[in-house]
Amino acid sequence: MSKGVLLFASNNSHINYVKQAYFLAKRISKYMSLPTSVVTDVDIKEKYPDWYEVFDHVIPVTSMSSAYNNKSYHDGSLAKRVLSFNNGNRGCAYDLTPYDETLVMDTDYIISNDILNQCFAQQKDLLLYKDAVHLGQYDGTTEFKKISDTSVDFYWATVFFFRKTYLTKIFFDLVNHIKENYLHYRSVYQFSSTVYRNDFAFSIAIHIMNGYTKGTFANPLPGKKFYSIDRDILLEINDDEFTLLVEKPNHLGEYIGTKVKGSNVHIMNKFSLERVINDQ
Amino acid sequence: MTNNFTMLAQNSTFDYVRQACLAAMSIRATNKNASICLITNDPVPTKYKQLFDYVVDIPWGDHADEFDWKIHNRWKIYHAIPYDETVVIDTDMLILDDISSWFDFLRNYDLFFTSKVYTYRGEEVTSDYYRKAFTKYNLPNLYCGFHWFKKADLPHEFYKWLEMITNNWQQFYKHHAGGKVFQKTASMDVSAAITANIMDCTNLITNPNVKYPSFVHMKPRIQDWNMNIGMLWQDRVGTYLSDDLTLRIGNYTQNGIFHYTEKNFLTPRIMKIYEKHLGI
Repeated sequence: MSKGVLLFASNNSHINYVKQAYFLAKRISKYMSLPTSVVTDVDIKEKYPDWYEVFDHVIPVTSMSSAYNNKSYHDGSLAKRVLSFNNGNRGCAYDLTPYDETLVMDTDYIISNDILNQCFAQQKDLLLYKDAVHLGQYDGTTEFKKISDTSVDFYWATVFFFRKTYLTKIFFDLVNHIKENYLHYRSVYQFSSTVYRNDFAFSIAIHIMNGYTKGTFANPLPGKKFYSIDRDILLEINDDEFTLLVEKPNHLGEYIGTKVKGSNVHIMNKFSLERVINDQ
Repeated sequence: MTNNFTMLAQNSTFDYVRQACLAAMSIRATNKNASICLITNDPVPTKYKQLFDYVVDIPWGDHADEFDWKIHNRWKIYHAIPYDETVVIDTDMLILDDISSWFDFLRNYDLFFTSKVYTYRGEEVTSDYYRKAFTKYNLPNLYCGFHWFKKADLPHEFYKWLEMITNNWQQFYKHHAGGKVFQKTASMDVSAAITANIMDCTNLITNPNVKYPSFVHMKPRIQDWNMNIGMLWQDRVGTYLSDDLTLRIGNYTQNGIFHYTEKNFLTPRIMKIYEKHLGI
């Protein structure tokens, strides 16, 4: 069975997701020895002449999604921009992937070890993280435990593994259906934001696939998911070591320095990630 | 061998017999091998009489005639039942599934109390919001809402103690629950817990390692909600009962036993759906 990693990259006016994908694909090759394909609406072959050394396949799409979202992107506590976030076609991963077994990652999920290779050696067909650990003291228990106070368990769509099966096909079709009828599901699942979130669509789809109960349709990815929020600042990546400033709880604009080594980390501050990539 | 269910209902300002009729309909709809006994001094509406195999008078007069909160006769259940063994449930419960396998498990015990209950999302209740005395005075976490007994020495003694404690609850609560009476009226759960401590039989009458038998407990402050909530759980999540008797609370399909706790849950519509299903 073929296996590899699939990334989605669509730039907006200030954030170069293709550059992130390029950076991440190199690390995936280095730490996981896996091929990476990228789904993009950017002409990568023209902008990155060495693309074939980095990407297994470039999968062009004319539009990443019709559902452009605007959301706030922080760069630390004190700066932010409202930018478009083109994230709507994650549900197409099943149809777009060139692999039988696929790891899908956000381009800001920075790989530093090979723990996710274990996905390919196990039997479950859908794996993703339900819990995550902040590198500082950010209390995400409310935000990342349920999709709303009265609703269903939260799952991270940041990184997930799937094997092509009849059931996972139904699952991804369901994710797309939820995306297309997002305001309806927003009402049924009692969350307030109208901005489309893959995390929410995946969480709802998993709940439905579990027969509207707790169940085992989705299983946990190996290892822990570490993350820093966009109010934190990434300062440096030196091989597998990250240096960050994480915001002090309840102290706006004050930070604590921290380092993490040998772990995969979700860096939500895209501006600081881009600065670090530019410095490499 | 039948699987026997017993309820005790005493009308006050509220019609608990009607609740018992709904509970009996839910048993009839799901447990084909059930026998149902209602202990009451109140009349059962004619059309619901067929639901009960036995309607038994409360023996030895009404010890609760001066009170609105009528728990003073609960200890008589042991003596009143026409069975050698029975499950006892509160009247404000719905049995949503065939629970025959629970009886197979329960027959290993002379007396058994549920010690774990669940939220509507299927998560074990960890909050002691309504059970401060249990935590503070290390009382066994028993729930009388669902329990089981055989006619045998241990349950007989247990119920004798329960009689004594019910009739002298202030003295017992002072002695066994910290020297202070926390509540205006006795609680069957606290009384049963004190009885278990006096008889030193907790390990014989409950099993913390099993998930079932148990029930979904809908008291609002134990649902693991973060936001300030109203007095009723119905203020936060909707109730959806389909014609095939699938009960969904919020986004979750319910199973097992559903302890709805709020009197206004019982609506004419819910009664009608069950009546239609059973052809009553």
